[in-house]
Order: sequence, then structure tokens, then C-alpha cells
Amino acid sequence: MGSSVRKAIELILSADPELLNILSTTARVCLTSSILALIIGVPVGILFGAERFPGRKILLVLNRTLIGMPPVVCGLLFYMLFSGVGPFRHLKLLFTVKLMIIAQVVLITPIIIGVMETFVADTAPALRETARGLGFGRIKEYRLLVNECLYSIFSAYLLSFARAIAEVGAVAMVGGAIAWKTNVMTTAIMMYTNRGSFTLGIALGLILLTLSLIVNIVLSLMQGRLSR
Amino acid sequence: MKVSAFSKTYGKRTVLSLPELELSEGMITAVIGPNGSGKSTFARILAGIEYADDRKPVIADINVGYLPQKSFPFRMSTEKNILQNGNDPARAKELMKALGIDDLAKQSAKKLSGGETARMALCRILMRRYDLLILDEPTTAMDMESTLAAEKLIRETCGGQGCAVLLITHSISQARRISDRVLVMNRGELAEQGDSGTVLNDPKQEQTRRFLDFYGL
Repeated sequence: MGSSVRKAIELILSADPELLNILSTTARVCLTSSILALIIGVPVGILFGAERFPGRKILLVLNRTLIGMPPVVCGLLFYMLFSGVGPFRHLKLLFTVKLMIIAQVVLITPIIIGVMETFVADTAPALRETARGLGFGRIKEYRLLVNECLYSIFSAYLLSFARAIAEVGAVAMVGGAIAWKTNVMTTAIMMYTNRGSFTLGIALGLILLTLSLIVNIVLSLMQGRLSR
Repeated sequence: MKVSAFSKTYGKRTVLSLPELELSEGMITAVIGPNGSGKSTFARILAGIEYADDRKPVIADINVGYLPQKSFPFRMSTEKNILQNGNDPARAKELMKALGIDDLAKQSAKKLSGGETARMALCRILMRRYDLLILDEPTTAMDMESTLAAEKLIRETCGGQGCAVLLITHSISQARRISDRVLVMNRGELAEQGDSGTVLNDPKQEQTRRFLDFYGL
């Protein structure tokens, strides 16, 4: 165990090409999917929290169901849609980074919507009453609401990024964990462990844990600043 | 300015039913009454935050300012909160000084105490001129010194800008100190109205007398 960890650290420090490829693919998939989810999820979450419209409660229940959706189910769904017998087979997206990103967007957008909706539903009524009392228009009201939400937006993003980077089921199914192409950190850990090659698996595990630690430190530091 | 007669019903329960009322420019009208008498609902409907049963505005198209009981401090400094309602730093400074929060100008409004938030909120609403200014218990969280300073400021603003002020208050002594007219509400209805001196010293209605007796006057 000790020697494996030592070898893993040496591998990280030596900038192993395969390790770097896995890291860059992971960064591409996770950053793109989490930013896309943020762009979609923040306005929808704010809308769900701030407005009352017919069907809102059904949509909220649906969103909460999607938050709990197992990644492998999401992966299975996309596999069936894009495989050789699926309706979208002509797009030839199966086992590509693009489909991995799409699957992750579907997985993490509900998380962002949920976080934003919960915060906004709690904040919007009091803010709105004050803003309308002052005679502010809708645009200024929303601008102030978004300003109140900065910390929530930030924590929703980090939460979704953490989910994306730790997720294995969906990306393994739609990406196929192809070396030098669609292999990300989690799928690589599984692959190398199955082969009995623990060194690369431990190196990737260490990097994942370090990233998780960094995310939490940043979140704690920003919490105080943004909630002011 | 005229306020049309209106009613407000929640489910099958009518919580408010008021006749036509008149508010005068340059005058402070205090609305007093026990808890649950409908004072705040009246204020919210007048401000357009809530609708009356017929969903029509109860007042003609005028510029109405409304300070809710718990005004929301926006996530920015005290001074920036106040400047949200008018970009006049000199006026903001003057208001903050009058209410003793000028030393808190750069502090985050989220970190103000209840009384300080109430003073900030009053400064914020007084930044702009409104035809009708509705203040829902603006001094409840303030100490006596701040309350008196706030009353002075409200009086000056009302006189100086010639706006009508509707002051919702629990404090009979506050109504006596600054109001010109008084509306007494009870169980969602108007129990009595008139000049503050007359209503508070010699109420005509038994229920008004009982309410004033209960509050020690």
C-alpha cells in the first residue's frame, strides 16, 4: 500500500502523459458540463423560486426526482437513444466526449435548479415586497434578487462540479472509458483497478481527493465574503 | 386623494371591509387598532402589494411608497442600500446623520441590528418623493431616542415634500405625537376616524374608548 502511494506520487510529479490525458479529458467534460448546467439551471431555479405559475409544483416534484436519478439510469437512457438501434444513432455521438457532457448536463442541472429554487423561494417574497414598496421595476427587482443569490450560485456551481467530477456511471456507459479518448478520472480508476494496476488508480484517487478538498476550502472562504 | 371602498376576503373569511376614505397631502394619518384588525393588510392593498377582492386599484394612479414592517436589507453596504432609491449621496448622508447611522454607512446592511435596519430602511424610503408614503410600524424596532428622531424626520418630509403619510402604528402615544388624523380599525372595519386630538381625547365609539383604555390612555 505504502509503496503504491509513493509510486502514485512519483507518477503525478513526473507528469505522466496518460495521466495528463485523463486529467485534461476530465477537466473538459466536467468544466463544460457544469458551466452549461449553470447557464441553464440558474435562471430556471430563480424562476421556479420567484414566480408562481400553473404546473410549478409538478415541475418541482419532477426536478426533485431528477436530482435523485441514479447516474447509471441516465447513462442507460442515453446509451439506448444514441446506440446503433436508438433514434439518434445517425448523430454518431456514442462513446464521444460530447455525449458524456450532455449526459452530465442532464444529471447536474436539476441540482442547480434545486439549490437556486430553495434559496430564492425563501428570499424573494421579502425582497419583492421591499422593492415594490420602493417603486422599483421588475428588472431592478430581479437584479437585486440575483445579487442576493451570488453565494447560492457559487455553491450550486461547486456542488454540481463536485458531482460531475465524482460521477462514474453515466460517463462510463456513454463514453465507454476508451483510453486516450473518453477515459476520465473515475472510469480510469475503475479500469486500472480491474487490471490490478493500482498505482495510476491511487494517483487519480489522490488528485480527486485533493480537488474535493480545494472545492471545500474555496467554498468556505467564499461563504463569508459573498454572504455579506 | 381618495381611497375607494373595498373588501378583502381570504377563503370565506372577510378580513377587511372599508368605506371610501380620504387622505390629505401634507398630513400624517395614523392607523391604529389591535392586532389582527387589518392595518397591515390595508397598507399592503393600498400599496398595490395585494389586491382587493375586485382586483381593482383602490387609489388613483399616483406615486406610492411603502415601507413594510420588516424591510429587506439588500446585500450591500448601508449607504448603497439607501442610494438604491435615489442617487443623491448628500441627501443620503443627511438622512443617515439624522437617524444616527452615518457611522454605519460602509458596513454591510446584513450585519445591522434590528433597530439599525429599521433606521436604514426609513432613510431608504425617504430618499425619494412619493405622493403617498405608507409606513407600516417603522419605529417598532427602534429605541426611544431613534423613534423621536424618526418621527421628526417623517414630519419634516411630509411637510417639506407635501406628501400624504399613512402611518400604521401600535403606539397611541406616537399617533398623538405626530399624526394630524387618526383611523381606528377593529376586526377589519373602520371603527372611527377624525382629527387625532378629537379621536384620541374624546372618542365617540365605545370600541375605540375600550381600545384606548386598554393601552392606558
